[in-house]
Amino acid sequence: MTSKKIVIVGSFGVGKTSLIRRFVDETFSEDYKVTIGVHILKKTVEIQENIVNLIIWDTEGTDDIEEIRKAYLLGTHGFIYVTDITRPKTYENLAAHKTYLNEQFGNVPIIAVGNKTDLLAKGSIAQMKEDMDFLDLLISAKEGNNVQRLFERMAKMLIA
Amino acid sequence: MINQDDKLDLLRTLLLTDDRQLAESISTKISILEETLREKDKLSEKISPIIREELEQYTLNMPKTLGPAITKTLKIQIQESKDEVVEALYPILGKMIKKYISNEIKMLSESIDKSTKEAFSSKGIKRKLMSIFSGVKENDMIISALAKAHVEQIFVIEKGSGILLGSYQTKETVDEDMISGMLTAIKAFVEDAFKETHHDLQSIEYDLYEIHLHSFHKYYIASAVSGTFTERLENELENFNFEISEDISKKSILHDRDALEALLLDRFKTYKFTEE
Repeated sequence: MTSKKIVIVGSFGVGKTSLIRRFVDETFSEDYKVTIGVHILKKTVEIQENIVNLIIWDTEGTDDIEEIRKAYLLGTHGFIYVTDITRPKTYENLAAHKTYLNEQFGNVPIIAVGNKTDLLAKGSIAQMKEDMDFLDLLISAKEGNNVQRLFERMAKMLIA
Repeated sequence: MINQDDKLDLLRTLLLTDDRQLAESISTKISILEETLREKDKLSEKISPIIREELEQYTLNMPKTLGPAITKTLKIQIQESKDEVVEALYPILGKMIKKYISNEIKMLSESIDKSTKEAFSSKGIKRKLMSIFSGVKENDMIISALAKAHVEQIFVIEKGSGILLGSYQTKETVDEDMISGMLTAIKAFVEDAFKETHHDLQSIEYDLYEIHLHSFHKYYIASAVSGTFTERLENELENFNFEISEDISKKSILHDRDALEALLLDRFKTYKFTEE
């Protein structure tokens, strides 16, 4: 069994904590609680007969990624950058933030996701996917769409 | 011969005498009642025994009749004003804790007195000699003997990532991977917050535990110790950590969790902490 540190980053209210709760506990709550400092959870996934222990660090939401304490990001094996597809402000600096993370914390995988697809009108997800091709995956922490797939994709990248 | 009028008179007398007497009697009773009502003392004299009796009966029945209603109301009241209840209980709890601590200190003091009285026993002389040669104060030795320390958990944690590389524990705890992550986050926060980049957080205290943190180049060793953590134990623990570190380097097992945990188990069983 191998352990990997995954850090979830992104702006305020994009659904970082909801995403982790959906993945780890399979629950969702409409109540919004601000994450203070850092919160750590873990879940084990099995990828091609490899057991990967994902230690997931949930950070405080911030529009400026440089505001996150560097000490929390050290030794990260993979980042998940969460955005809210209904709020352009949450993904307008994505490219610059990805560059910053790779420069400061090594060339580790970064998966950028657009959360809250449950707020889109039915049938518009395919179009949204095309319009937002800078995002790797569209997910819904509320409904659970693509959440498991996201973490499995990350685990695959980490053991490759 | 009796005439008609006399007959009527006689009849009236026969029929109305009782009524008159009754009317007079009622009138007297009403007068007494009026007088009683008018005079407070007299009224009180009559009513008090009745009220007293009713009250006694009411008091006797109160738990049965009002008990459930009062309990229900209190429950709702406590539920709705938790903060006020806590506020009210806090000083009382504080006093209870204070009393408990005073009692514990009293017991500790008695134990120290007993140990001091035994100063000239073989045990006492042995302790004095140990104190002279080891440099540890005799008082510290007495106190540490009274609250012996136990090394309960040892974690070898990767610096930065907080990934657990290996652990040894004497009893079950919450998830050790999460403990490692949180310890690293706390350590990182303190070191970052005080801008002490070249200094490491060395210990965290909570309740009766002290977590000793010993940093190496790529990892740090966290040891949870219960009881009195003395300087002597700290020295021993650091020596223990250095020995583990030497073995990790020699055998190159930092990233081999099974081998590392076997080493910790083996070392822990053979190493004798004198405080334990």
